[in-house]
Amino acid sequence: MSESGNRVLEHKENILKTTSSMNKNTQAQFNLTISNGVTINYRSNQLENIEHHNDTSLTVTVYNDFKKGSASTNNLSFDSIKQTLDKATNIAINTQKDNCQGLPIESFTTCESEDIGIYFPKHFEIDEATELTKICESAGFEYDKRVSNSEGSSYSQSNSECLILNSEGMYGHFKSTDYSLSCVMLAGDNQAMERDYWYSSTRRYENLESPQEIGKKASSRAISRLNAKTISSRVCPIIFPAEVATSFFNNFLSAINGHAIYKKSSFLLDKLGSEIFPEFITIREDPSIVEGMGTRPFDSDGVLTESKNIINKGILETYLLDTYSARKLNLNCTGNGVLTNILVESSEEQTDNLINLVDEGVIITEMMGSGANLLTGDYSRGAFGYYFKDGQIKYPVTGITVASNLTQMFKNILHVGKDYDIRGNIRTGSILIDKVTIGGT
Amino acid sequence: MITKIKNILSEHNLTDDKLSKLLSVSCPRGIDFSDVYFEYSASESWSIEDGIVKNGTSMIDSGVGIRSIAGDKTGFAYSNTFEFRDLTRAAQMSRSIAPFESEKKFQIGSNIDYKKLYEAGSPLERIDDLKKVIFLKEMDVYIRSKNSDVEQVIINLAASHTSMFVINSDGERASDERPLVRFNVMVILKKGDRRERGSAGGGGRFYYDQIFDQNFSRKFADEAIRQAEVNLEAINSKAGSTTVVLGPGWPGVLLHEAIGHGLEGDFNRKQTSAYSGCVGQKVASSDCTIVDDGTLSNRRGSLSIDDEASPTECTTLIEDGILKGYMQDKLNARLMSTKSTGNGRRESYAHLPMPRMTNTFMMPGSFEPGDIISSVKNGIYAANFSGGQVDITNGQFVFTASEAYLIENGKVTRPIKGMTLIGNGPEVLKKVSMVGNDLKLDDGVGTCGKDGQSVPVGVGQPTLKIDEITVGGTEV
Repeated sequence: MSESGNRVLEHKENILKTTSSMNKNTQAQFNLTISNGVTINYRSNQLENIEHHNDTSLTVTVYNDFKKGSASTNNLSFDSIKQTLDKATNIAINTQKDNCQGLPIESFTTCESEDIGIYFPKHFEIDEATELTKICESAGFEYDKRVSNSEGSSYSQSNSECLILNSEGMYGHFKSTDYSLSCVMLAGDNQAMERDYWYSSTRRYENLESPQEIGKKASSRAISRLNAKTISSRVCPIIFPAEVATSFFNNFLSAINGHAIYKKSSFLLDKLGSEIFPEFITIREDPSIVEGMGTRPFDSDGVLTESKNIINKGILETYLLDTYSARKLNLNCTGNGVLTNILVESSEEQTDNLINLVDEGVIITEMMGSGANLLTGDYSRGAFGYYFKDGQIKYPVTGITVASNLTQMFKNILHVGKDYDIRGNIRTGSILIDKVTIGGT
Repeated sequence: MITKIKNILSEHNLTDDKLSKLLSVSCPRGIDFSDVYFEYSASESWSIEDGIVKNGTSMIDSGVGIRSIAGDKTGFAYSNTFEFRDLTRAAQMSRSIAPFESEKKFQIGSNIDYKKLYEAGSPLERIDDLKKVIFLKEMDVYIRSKNSDVEQVIINLAASHTSMFVINSDGERASDERPLVRFNVMVILKKGDRRERGSAGGGGRFYYDQIFDQNFSRKFADEAIRQAEVNLEAINSKAGSTTVVLGPGWPGVLLHEAIGHGLEGDFNRKQTSAYSGCVGQKVASSDCTIVDDGTLSNRRGSLSIDDEASPTECTTLIEDGILKGYMQDKLNARLMSTKSTGNGRRESYAHLPMPRMTNTFMMPGSFEPGDIISSVKNGIYAANFSGGQVDITNGQFVFTASEAYLIENGKVTRPIKGMTLIGNGPEVLKKVSMVGNDLKLDDGVGTCGKDGQSVPVGVGQPTLKIDEITVGGTEV
């Protein structure tokens, strides 16, 4: 899994060779990703699966007189690359002219290779990985006698390389590594069985959370779900723990994506400069955090990513624009053909015990279904959680729905906790939101 | 044997002799079973938005997946080249799941016989690209001419053709060619400050000709506009517990989530499903008979033969409320001492097979749909859903309606917004009190996700009434 650096250069040569015969009016962009890795599953005290992964994908995008075509392949032989380029060129004969199409002219990457702090390769050792998952699952089983079964512990590691080049001389390349360790435990019996999980995900092997902790947390979460009740319908405050809050903020980020805006399919259309969140909230993008899960030097068009405020003191400062959507909206590209690291910050003093801030409410630990309508902002999802009152968790609740409108939910955020989850590219603490409708019995 | 894979095999000099040598490497003594799965998949998509056919994409993905099973352990590796040397290396990685003893000899068997449920040709190659572009432009013009409040129209046209060939250590060998096409329309209407969406689509294992037939495609265009019009009038709904009537067809996705996943063999072997050990027990009201049928011609969820060389079947899951059996792939069937039901499916050569659904639906009952609605004093009629999710361990499932109405005094009245249903599969099925005589299968747009793998599926049901279920809403 290590000599791939030279392989990428070899692919670069092949790709450049194919462009030599290209028509003068044609522009082409090549995006290549190569990743390889291993996933193992350990279940019921034995190794269950070993999966070796080895994926390649080359996408060729051709622009011919503002007409676009794209084609992809997983075969990197010279002939295959040439055929893929030809296929994309042929598609661009039949598609229609759109003046916003084309390669970026913004400050794009030309870096040969750069250490951006997300590549920490490690040789895969089956015995070491097996031991890790074994400790993880055992810790889960030993945690409590109500733990009855397991879906196992899983470890995976992968090395990825991302290469971009275009016919105008752009060239960019970076490498990254990913490690993860997870555990899924079950509690209870056939009459009332509950399942929950915990995981760690990092760029560096050494930073993985301890396997004991992961196993214990998975079991503790599964047990705490037992004997859940339903509650009556009500309007009350809710808490999204950090790991659920990340997907909540993801709704916001999708709604300000340039593609949703120019298609007029977002409830945040025409909201640039408006107050979307309370004044104490600032949301920043930082593409260069060392070991960050979203760290990237350039976006999918090769445009350099940039550090910026998205929400400044509650106010929407920018949409997330790639080359095409920026041209469509007549705005400047923000390098958001990808989303890098997002940080949700609070100017108030942050606590990690949000249940003390209101009299009663529900902590939502799991959301189900796809009920966030980004066109209208209407929000209605299934949920599992815990009812709390007077600073104490009283009991688990199941079979409830959470409904409101995202516009109101964003404004009704009362607090952002300091318990940041950094396992993904969106970094936020738990959040407390006022006046959400809980549907129950 | 099919041409695409045949060409690949001969180009790379992969003779029967070489193939049996691969099995010798992937299935030495100490390994119980091994299979080698070849795949070549070509797909494309075309879309129109803002009245312009902006992009077309074409994709080729091909490779070989090799799996070695010892007891309940599985080793897996794949190669995206077809060089014998690379395949041998993948076979060695795959067999590393068990300590190596010594190699055995294998004979490559003869082709398994099965009934072909669809044409073998590639939908991509049968029609000029220009015709696809013209079709999209005509549909766009048609939709914009039907309603003056149209703000956005996005239409997608997609097709794929997958050629597979599998050999295994049991001496089986099978190949299949699978066409798949899909057409989708999304319309946004704007009235005053309000914007609402409507979408519809259809497809199956056939060619573009059927989609290009105006009777087929305009039906979906009209449906998307109608849904957006309905949503423009929708009011906020009330949260709480109520009676819900589900419309026929796509709402059958509820069965897919509420019980389908819970009846997949892997979860039941591992005893992690709410239905584990329940065969022979009453798990639904006696009006419910539910099957998984992979043998329907040309349907999106159908397969002539599954990805493990087992012909698909019509499997009765629940009969008159009694749980009859699970959906099985080879691994789980063997470990549970039963037979595969032809449900062994994989997203691609780069994924392991698992028990997956094909077309899952409830058989019709005896009630007229109109009588079912008029039997409800106050409740909700859910005509269509956008999607759902299930926790197979506790049976909890969730769906979001894309079109729903209040039922007031036995009549369908005002449309309501973004309603979510949440319930417990085993409990809800016991509350099914009326089943209609109007069984309808969906139009061919379903995709099911499990363990990160997506496969095309079908769902269906007649109109049915659930006496009590929790619905979400913003009003209390």
